[in-house]
Parts: sequence; structure tokens; C-alpha cells
Amino acid sequence: MNREIREAFFFILPLGIFVLLLMLLPVTGSLWISLWQDVSFLPRKFAGLGNYIRLFKDSQLWRSVGFTLAFSFASVSLEMIAGTIIALVLNESFRFRGIMRGTALLPWAIPSVIGARIWQLIYRYDYGLANYVLRGTSGLSVNWLGSSGGAFLSLVLADSWRTTPFVAIILLAGLQSVPESLYEQAKIDGANLFQRFFKVTLPVIKPVVIVALIFRTIDALRVFDIIYVITGGGPGGFTTSISLYSYKYFLLGDFGYGSTVSIFLFIIAFTIVILYIRAGRFREAAL
Amino acid sequence: MRRLFLSVVISFGIFSGCTKKEPLLTFAVGGAPNEVDYWEELIREFENRTHISVKLLRQPTDTDLRRQSLVTPLNAKEKDPDLFLMDVAWVAQFAASGWLFSLDSRIKKTSFDITQLFSSVVNQVDVYKGEVISLPVYIDCGLLYFRKDLLIKYGCPVPEIWSDFLECAKEIQGEERKNNPNFYGFVWQGAQYEGLVCNFIEFIASNGGDITDKSGSITVNSEENIQALQFMRDLIHKYKISPPNTFTEMREEEVRTFFESGNALFERNWPYAWKLHDSQGSPVRGKVGITLLPKFDNGRHAASLGGWHIGISRYSDKKDEAWELVKFILSYKTQKKLCLNLAWNPARVDVYDDTEVKERMPHMNVLKKAFENAVARPNFPYYTQISEVLQRYVNTAISGKINSGEALEQAQQEIFKNVKRYHE
Repeated sequence: MNREIREAFFFILPLGIFVLLLMLLPVTGSLWISLWQDVSFLPRKFAGLGNYIRLFKDSQLWRSVGFTLAFSFASVSLEMIAGTIIALVLNESFRFRGIMRGTALLPWAIPSVIGARIWQLIYRYDYGLANYVLRGTSGLSVNWLGSSGGAFLSLVLADSWRTTPFVAIILLAGLQSVPESLYEQAKIDGANLFQRFFKVTLPVIKPVVIVALIFRTIDALRVFDIIYVITGGGPGGFTTSISLYSYKYFLLGDFGYGSTVSIFLFIIAFTIVILYIRAGRFREAAL
Repeated sequence: MRRLFLSVVISFGIFSGCTKKEPLLTFAVGGAPNEVDYWEELIREFENRTHISVKLLRQPTDTDLRRQSLVTPLNAKEKDPDLFLMDVAWVAQFAASGWLFSLDSRIKKTSFDITQLFSSVVNQVDVYKGEVISLPVYIDCGLLYFRKDLLIKYGCPVPEIWSDFLECAKEIQGEERKNNPNFYGFVWQGAQYEGLVCNFIEFIASNGGDITDKSGSITVNSEENIQALQFMRDLIHKYKISPPNTFTEMREEEVRTFFESGNALFERNWPYAWKLHDSQGSPVRGKVGITLLPKFDNGRHAASLGGWHIGISRYSDKKDEAWELVKFILSYKTQKKLCLNLAWNPARVDVYDDTEVKERMPHMNVLKKAFENAVARPNFPYYTQISEVLQRYVNTAISGKINSGEALEQAQQEIFKNVKRYHE
């Protein structure tokens, strides 16, 4: 080993330890538990793939998977679109830009449970802000969380509100790396605003977009806190995300099956991330 | 640099190594902040009297979070906490998991008089495989709160059966709406959570139904149950005496504040609401009465049994000291204090006859009657699973999405399928 490689090894070591202790170990631990019948009030015995077979027959789980995927798709799409718009605006130079940038980040700085609680109060049927405004303008009251569609959209909105700033700030960093000269050239060639965005901006910031997508998708797939606070999985179990579903088995004392559900969620997230990286042709695009 | 690093590591090791003083009991208690504060006070008194030092492990208010913070250390066979409070709905699971230390030997050795505690509660909840594994600290059960002033104003007697209840609620709601468009006849807990199951059990028992049949197997889809569920649903959608957000947001506190702001005639809640309704600044102060929940013609006045039980961890290394604390908490004096200061309903029968208690809390005799009618939730270790399915289907039914018969039919099938797995 020459010196350069040895030094590189030392530089990577802290990260390696970090990944090993805080990521690989828990994942393999869960994987191990998922192979057992590990129910607190039953004798512990090896179950092999028993829990996984049960998983595929569990209609309630598939309902959760459906909801979680739909929720992730809707909220990540909304966040990416809104985040891009905000980032483009914040990238322009105007007065008070610094203050605007700070303000736009505020929702992200609020702990997610508190953010969820704020939205819960907004959606409240009797004294919530949304109905207060609605009553004032039309005299109507809507039970926002009472229907599956209403609960779904309410959750998507609450989640997007909190995490759009995160997307915006990552994209803003990307936008600042686009050289001004590219725009000038495009203008000379007669490209309009949309052409400049789709042909110049987007290709350059693509790696950053992919990074934002990966972060947000993983987060959205394992959504727990805002659902726990706002709907508790209701109405009628419609908004039970996979994490919430797994948590219920933890309370029941069925650690084996709960872990199996978590591993399944891990597999879903992992697959989607790989698809993103493939689709983004990450290696070529990266600098 | 290296020396600095070493000294930091070493001092960290020293300081973390000597945190435990003996003999130290760890007692896990949660609840509302004022409740936990009061525990601190009681614990200090216990320490002064016995010279056993106790560390209070403060838990959150939320019942699920309290359970979560016990399941983790117990499953890992940790020796702390030594003792803890359990919701009545978890005792079976904790017992079947082998996490609870059998109290039989200590009860015998110290000749503790267990007959002073409500025996119906002890028998329904605290005995597992013939051994006493926990003891009740306080008892809860569902009650009907009503607005005395409004019933008198409109000449309605306190309702005994649901049909009278309905008539009275519809009439008064109609009249009160003229001045207060937000007024509702009846508020109860319908959101998708454990409290919904408690309400459901009361409605079905008041119609002669139950979750298990005589042989102990689960039958949620009986005719009586379907009728009762239909009634719950009709309260919201047909008679419209319960607000439309009943099935989305109504939990204990939402129901309590709704009633307390003067917007409801009847309220189903636990005894804790009494003291709050009657506190300074409450708009309904002095206007509230309590009684047993109404029944259908062929049922009975039912009240879901709630409350908290104390148990000693099997992994505790301080079982003798822990038992001392249990005895202290269940003593006449402490039970009376908990009753007077936190308005908790003592698990000891004799406290109800205490003159001071009678004088300061005249509603206690209604409670005593309600406890005699208390219905426990099914005592299975996998009760959580049953509850989870029931919450989902009962909530779907009262949201109006599927009809009551179909909901309970599907619930029955899913429970049957899920529960099979948890039989040995």
C-alpha cells in the first residue's frame, strides 16, 4: 500500500465506521429478527421465510403499500415542482433577497411533529383555520380529514409545506453553479424563457435534482410523524403508511413480523433509489 | 492532543460508571404533567418514610408512547424500570410475555389484604394463570355527563334508555341551535384509536352484545353488535346529534373541551373530566351531572373498564423494595390522597366510604355503581391486534363508508385470520 492510498483509507474510515454502526448493523439486525417468530408472548423459534410469506398474503399491508406509494408520488411531485419555482425565484437578484431566502426556509426549520400539529389545528373541523376561512366566505364547513381523498390531500399538503424548502435550497445551490455565460449564449441563439430552462438549466442541475429526489423519496416512503399526528391512520385505516403499520406490530409485541414489514419498506426504497440513479445516469452527469 | 483525547475518554468512563447509587428503585410513570408532579411528591414522602430512594422515570402523556417506552426495556430484559404503571389493556400482553413478577409470595409474606381492592377488577385483569401479577392503582370507566340546567329547562328527565336519550337530545339540540348553531346533542370518542373500542364495547354491551361469546371465542358480528354499531353511525349521519368530525378528531380531550365550552348536551367520557368541568373558569361549572350510560331495552348500563395497574418487572433487581412501594401506593392514605388531589378513583373499596371523600366528591357514589357495571376489554395477550382491526372497521362504518353488518363481518374474518397466528 502506498502512502496516498493509506491516507485515503484513513480519510474514509470515519465515514465507514459511521455507515457500519448506524446503518448496516441495524439493517442486518432487522433482517435477522425478521427470520424469527419473535412474539413477546410466544416461544421464540426460527421461522425462515415464514414472515415473508405472511407478508404477501397480508391484504392490509398491500393497502398500506398502495397508500404509501401514492402519497410519496404525490408529495414528491408537488415538492419538486414548487421547490423548483421557489429556487428559480430566489436565484434572481432583487431587494430583500436574503430575507426572502431565510423566510422560505422556515417550515423546514420547524420540527416535523410541531409542523404536523399546526396542520392538525388548521384542519380541525370545529375551530380549524381552514373552516374558519371557509365559513367566513361561503358559510360552509368541511370535514377535511373525514373522507379518504380529503385526508390524502391534507397529508400531501402538510408534508409538502414542510419539505418544499429543503428541495428549494438544494436546487438553489445547483442553480448557482450554472454559468451566466450559458444563458447569454442561449439568448443570442434566440431561446425563450422555457427553452432556456429546459435546455440549459435543467441538464446542468440534473445531478442536484436527482439528489433532491432521492432524499425526498426515501423520506416520503417512510413517512410516520405527520400521519401519526394528523390522522392516526384514519379514516378507517386508509392513511396507514407502511411505517405506521410496522409500528403497530411493535406495540403488539410481534417484533418478527414488524421487522419483516420494515425490511420490505427498505427493499422498496432501495429499488426506487437504484432506478433513480440509473435513470439519471449519475456517473456521466456528475462533474 | 492525544493526551487531551485520552483524558476526555477516561473521564467520560468514570462519570458514566458511577451514576447508580443503591438502593435505587426506578418507577416509570406517565400521564398529565400535574399527575407526574404529584407522583414526585408522593415518592418523596415514601423516601422519607422508608429510606429507599426512588428515581421517577417520567413518561409521556400519550398511552401508546408510555407503552412503547416500557416494551423496549422489558423485551431487552433490562433491570430498570423496576416497577411501572400499565393500562388495563396491556396487562394480559405483559403477563403472557413473562415480563411481570408474580406478586403471590409477597402478598402472602407481608399479609397484604387484597380483598380491600375491587375484586371484580382484580379477577378480570390482574390474575394470570392463577397468579396475581399486578394490582389496580386506580379505576376508570365510561360515564355519561349531562347538562343539568338544560335538562331542567326543557323538562327532560335524566335518560335511562337510548330511545329517551335520543328524543331528549334531538329536541334540546333543535331548540339550542336557535341561539347557538354549533350546539350538538351528544359527543363521544369516535376517532380511530383505542378509545373508539372502549365506546364500541359500551354501545354493544348496552344492547346485550359482547366481543367474545360464552366459550371465550371472538364473535364481533352478532346481531346485537351490528344493531349497536348502526346506532353509533346513526347518531352522526341520521339523527345528526353528534358532530361530523366525531369519526376523525374526537378523542377524550376534544370531546371534553367541546362539552366544556357549552356546545353539547351529553358527553361520554372518563371520570377525569369531572374535576375539569367543575373547575374555576369552566363555562359549565355547576351545571354538570353524571350518570351511567343509557341502555337499549334488552341490554344493561355498561361502562368500559379503564384504569392503570401497577406491576413489578420480572427482571428487577430490587423486588423487595419495589413491593414496599406497591404497598405504599395501595395504602388507604395514599389512595385517598390520589383521590382528593388528582380526582382518581381509588382501587380500594374502603376509600369510597371515607367521610372526607364523600363530602368533597359527592359524585363518587355514581362511580362506585358504574364500576359494578364495568365491562373489561377481552383479556388476550394479542388484544392489540383485535383492537387494531376493530378500530379500523368500526371507524369505517361510522364514517358512513360501509354498512354496519358488512364492517363487522369483515372485522370478524380479519380478526380470525390474524389471531390464529398468535395461538401456541
